[in-house]
Parts: sequence; structure tokens; C-alpha cells
Amino acid sequence: MNIIELSEPLHEIIFILLEIGLVLGSLGVVLLNNIVYSAFFLGLVFICISILYILLNADFLAAAQILIYVGAVSVLIVFAVMLINKSPSSKIFSSWTIGDSITFISCISIFFFLTITISNTPWYKINLITESKNILEQDLTENIQKIGYFLLTEFLLPFELLSILLLVALIGAIVIARRENIIEIKKSKNLKLKKNLTVF
Amino acid sequence: MLEHVLILSAYLFCIGIFGLITSRNMVRALMCLELIFNAVNINFITFSNYFDTQQLKGEIFSIFVIAIAAAEAAIGLAIVLVIYRNKNSTRIDQFNLLKW
Repeated sequence: MNIIELSEPLHEIIFILLEIGLVLGSLGVVLLNNIVYSAFFLGLVFICISILYILLNADFLAAAQILIYVGAVSVLIVFAVMLINKSPSSKIFSSWTIGDSITFISCISIFFFLTITISNTPWYKINLITESKNILEQDLTENIQKIGYFLLTEFLLPFELLSILLLVALIGAIVIARRENIIEIKKSKNLKLKKNLTVF
Repeated sequence: MLEHVLILSAYLFCIGIFGLITSRNMVRALMCLELIFNAVNINFITFSNYFDTQQLKGEIFSIFVIAIAAAEAAIGLAIVLVIYRNKNSTRIDQFNLLKW
């Protein structure tokens, strides 16, 4: 069933390495003061997540993650950082206020409750039910073929709406970020002409 | 394996929310939003892999989430660029243009 046949200890080792990369990378994204470093840590986090998708048998989504997130979104973020970046202060970590500590405590408590819920849920019961269903209706088509089939039959309307949404986002980003200086240039040229006339 | 991946995605989600609330730079807030989207995607794909190997609806839904996240990043960065051009800063707490 797995895409890549790995022995169990190797699987565990890769998963632990991915965990370390994700934990340190996301901490770097949030806590580092220089935003260029956090943009590159974000790229590291995206690559680790795509390897995690390969371990979870989702090969198409791993490729899509690398193409879209690593190739487009993080490059776009680095581009915006390069356009915007001001002189960074010399401190490595940013300063810490009372609101930050309140948020930190509440996030820790959310994580704590989520972990308790995850460890208390009896997953093996659901697993048994779904496995019995899977044995009944065994299908031999591949992962990508299934995704393509469902995208063009059952999810056809959301798929087309998604393409319209991407078109709207493209045009909207261009319209928002375009510099409307054609009229201003004309005005400034007129002003310069007037100044020249007054000089002469 | 299932519980480990779920705890990992819960960790990513919490640290994304922490960064989203506490960051003062708007680009960093967008990065933390991407972290939250990725945590949600990991959850979808894990459940789709373990409980729904026949229909893979979680993977299809996460394709939609990825596309919407890409559109959101493009629009958000365009807005950040325009605000930087107008006010010459990207601090979130100085954006009171739309107040009243």
C-alpha cells in the first residue's frame, strides 16, 4: 500500500528527523527577529511537510506542496521581504511583552488540551471499522487516478469555482499593487514646465 | 504514527496562532497564517490516509485549501506592498487607516 517501501526503523528515523525540522523551523519562523531568516525557515518547514506527505502516501499532494508552497508562496514572501525590509535591529530575538506571555500561556493550554483529546480518543476502533469496509470494496486504481476521477466528476463545480477564484486573485493582486502614477507623472511634467517658464 | 502526526499538526497550529497574534510585522503574520493552513492540511491528509483510502476526499479538500492559501498569499502581499508604499511601515499596530 505504501508508495515507498521502507523498513520500520528507517521510517521512524525519517519521521523523527522531520519532527525536529518542523519544530525548530516553526519556532524560527515565529521567534527570530530578522524577517529574512524567518522566511527561509518557512521554506524549510514547507519542505519538511512535503516529505511528511510522502510518508503519508499522498504523492500528488507532496508534489503540489513543493510546487506551490516552496516554489511560489515562499518565493513570493521572500520577494515581499526584500521589497519591504528595513534595517533590522541587532537583537536575535524580539522583545517580550505582557500580551505575548498571555498569548503564550493560552496557546500552550490549547496545545495541552488538544494533546489530551488526541491521546484519549480510541482511534483503533474507527480503524477496525474502516478496514473492514476497505476489505469489502477493494479497488486497484492508483492514488492520482482517484484524485483526477473525483475532481472531474464529484467535485467538478468546486474545481471550476476554484479556477475562477484564482483568476480573480490574480487580477485583484495586480489591480491592488499597481502604482497609479500615470496621471501623477503628467501633473509633475506640467509643474516642471511651469517652473521652467517662470525661470525663463 | 497517527497520534504523532496529529500532535505535530496541533503543535504547528498553536505556534501559528501564537505568531499570528504576537507578530508586529505584517509579512510575518502572513507567514504564520501559512503555517496554520499547513497544519490543517496535515490533519486532512492524515485522516484521509488512515480512514478513507477508498475515496481520498481529504486529499481533494486539501488541494482546495492549498489553492485558496496561494490566492490569499498573493492578495495579502499586494495589500502589504500598497500599505508600505503609503505609510512607509509594515507594523500591524500602525494600520488604523480603515478605523471609522
